[in-house]
Amino acid sequence: MEVQLIKIEKRNDVSRSIYFLTPVLAIFLTLFGGGIIFFILGFNPIEALKFFFITPISDLYGLSELLVKATPLCLIAIGLSFCFKSNNWNIGAEGQLIFGGIVGGGVALLFYNHDGFYVLPIIILSGAIGGMLFAMIPAILKTYFNTNEILVSLMLVYVAKLLLDYLVVGPWSNPEGFNFPETRQFSESAKMPILFDGLRIHAGIFITLITVFLSWLILYKTYLGFQIKVSGLSLKTAKYAGFKGKTMIIIVFMISGACAGLAGVGEITGPIGQLHRNISPDYGFTAIIVAFLGRLNPVGIIFASLIVALTYLGAETAQIFLQVPKYTGQVFQGMILFFLLGSDYLLFFKIKFLGLKKNEL
Amino acid sequence: MNTKLKVSEISKIYPGCVANDKVSLEFGSGKIYALLGENGAGKSTLVKILSGVVKPDEGQVFLNNESIKLNSPLDAKKNNIGMVFQHFNLFETLSVFENLSIDSDKNDEDLRVLVNDILKKYNFKIDLDIPVLNLSAGQKQKVEIIRCLIRNPKVLIMDEPTSVLTEQETDDLFISLKQFSKDGILIIYITHKLKEVLSLCDEVAVMRKGKVVSVSNTIDEKIESLANKMVGENLNTIKKKINNFKNSEEILKISNLNFKSDDPYETNLNNLNLSLKKGECLGIAGISGNGQNELFQILSGEIITEGTSIKFRNKEIGKLNPRERREYLMAFSPEDRISQAAVPELKIYENVALNNFKSSNFFEKGLVNERKIKEHSKKILSNFSVNTDNVELKSQFLSGGNLQKLIIGRELITSPELLVCFNPTWGLDVGAINYIHETLIQINEQGKSSILISTDNDELLKLSDRICVIYKGKLSKIMNADTVTAEKLGILMGGGSID
Repeated sequence: MEVQLIKIEKRNDVSRSIYFLTPVLAIFLTLFGGGIIFFILGFNPIEALKFFFITPISDLYGLSELLVKATPLCLIAIGLSFCFKSNNWNIGAEGQLIFGGIVGGGVALLFYNHDGFYVLPIIILSGAIGGMLFAMIPAILKTYFNTNEILVSLMLVYVAKLLLDYLVVGPWSNPEGFNFPETRQFSESAKMPILFDGLRIHAGIFITLITVFLSWLILYKTYLGFQIKVSGLSLKTAKYAGFKGKTMIIIVFMISGACAGLAGVGEITGPIGQLHRNISPDYGFTAIIVAFLGRLNPVGIIFASLIVALTYLGAETAQIFLQVPKYTGQVFQGMILFFLLGSDYLLFFKIKFLGLKKNEL
Repeated sequence: MNTKLKVSEISKIYPGCVANDKVSLEFGSGKIYALLGENGAGKSTLVKILSGVVKPDEGQVFLNNESIKLNSPLDAKKNNIGMVFQHFNLFETLSVFENLSIDSDKNDEDLRVLVNDILKKYNFKIDLDIPVLNLSAGQKQKVEIIRCLIRNPKVLIMDEPTSVLTEQETDDLFISLKQFSKDGILIIYITHKLKEVLSLCDEVAVMRKGKVVSVSNTIDEKIESLANKMVGENLNTIKKKINNFKNSEEILKISNLNFKSDDPYETNLNNLNLSLKKGECLGIAGISGNGQNELFQILSGEIITEGTSIKFRNKEIGKLNPRERREYLMAFSPEDRISQAAVPELKIYENVALNNFKSSNFFEKGLVNERKIKEHSKKILSNFSVNTDNVELKSQFLSGGNLQKLIIGRELITSPELLVCFNPTWGLDVGAINYIHETLIQINEQGKSSILISTDNDELLKLSDRICVIYKGKLSKIMNADTVTAEKLGILMGGGSID
């Protein structure tokens, strides 16, 4: 039997512009792949893609919704970029988001009868601290007990989810809520200010933008950012340079958890206005895709969050107009990641065909 | 059946290095052959050629007078050449038997019978159904050997097999190898340990710089004669002027340094003591893997050992990390210049910022002072004749010599009182080597001290004021460089003793 021999080689130098263009290529490939799927399902692919990607943002309400969805995605992804850049694999942002939501929500319920400008900042701060503390669990276990942060952070997502379930069904459920699994609506002073009447876009977007700017500053202009960069490229060098490796692991997890917690508290004080079982449509997991699609770069992440937010909206429109399940959105998110990883592989490695050879096994 | 293995005129050239230069050797079954040589002598390349991992540029291999082609490890297996590498290739979570059955074409019942026969015949005590991770290093090696024995090997090649074994396990291994040899298996034993050659092998071929320099019966050899052949008698005698440091101030003192690693591939250090005077260069010789890596990391602060006293300029620094030690004017140039001393993906000035010290003001209030770092980098590039003035260049585009100049420059521009360097010139061309050597001599002349850990004896004899040898994690006594000869070094490096 003859077999084709294949050799995979690392490319020496990858140009910077192509490095930032591959995500765009991945998006086009996703559109193409999506078109094929719609075609197989019996739709006109052009029409279907239009419903998916153009219709949702063709009016002001749609654009506002896009920003409502992009706000938490961008915020979480920015936080994750700190972890990923330094080779720490925080997969549990969803749990940190939920835990931040729980803490922030708890404080909001505590201040149920209070009015005043100070209420919202306290809620937001406590949400960030909640997410931060929750993210410190995998970080501390990793640094002191050598556990795998991927597993621990992921498993903690389910802990946070079940805790939220318990709280909204049990002790925190609305006393006048006919046993629905939800808390009271928060008071007006515990809610994010709405920016425009009739639209859902809220002040949380400013928190996100400020965080993006601060992250850029930290990552590119500070000693901490330099340490994160070096550790991500070579742990051996970081050790040789005398960076405090353990402290840094804990710091990046804290930043990442705080961002996820902020996203959670932004959701419950913004569009949701209370705690219930599903405060996040997996934003914490989807943000991983956003972070990589944006090349872990603050500006890149802003664009990536808008595109991925669109898949959420598109899925809803497609559900209405094409009667396909809204999980189509996840199919598109999956395709983006698939094509991004695929093109990255071809970007960093080349495949050589060495010709046919007799198989002698 | 008699087996004859012959390699004829084998050459293998890597860019910038002749690994094998017309190597011809003959082996016959019933004997154990030693292949002896320093690091980089060409032993490993030859072994890789025999096991099909590397293709020679020239030359042929004959098995029983027939020319054989070894294009892949599969070809070696088909020709009944078995190989046990220094690092084991076993699946830790699979059982012993599963590991053996993976690359066997026999069915499980037959294989089990065969393996049990081998276990009984050679008195190996291994439970076939426990996971490999529960085995000791010696037992893992036995599994590797059994894997070869299943295929009825004519030739068995062992690559530095005792480096991970205890003394008792080493004795056991030698008993087994002698038994295999009696059963007609031709054994080629690669080592740099002289005692092992004398106690185990019948014939010994010594390699140096890619060439076979001698083939002889071990009965005719002594530790001294082998050491001489291994290290080479004709050494470069250009040395720096050796000074008398009797009245100089002591700058570094290490007492009772002990290090025990959890990693079986690392070397434990045993009761190391050394001291260094101002302006002095202390050379530490040894064959790589005898504890140099660990010693370097302990000096640099990458490894902190409990209970060790390291006094530098009368301050206890044993608990400080590398950055804090730099503040006390120590500097470090590690062996791995490509992925440890510098990061290839970083720009030159970013790599310079790795040596961050208080007075440099590279980072003010936590913010990067890019202008300062770049100015400083420019100074390093010109003072240490690196052949670029572009500090924005990624360091992966620097040649080895220029990269090493950049690293040494980065370490020295802060005028440290002590420079610790580990194999500073490996893989460099002659010009760069000379530049580095001159620089190292210069700092001693300026009254700064240095510790030179190196596997290159020429370099050590050229630069050191005093020399000692590290062997299996222990230091020999420290000798004045003018009393040291290549022969003495060779004996100590091979585990012998001198008086």
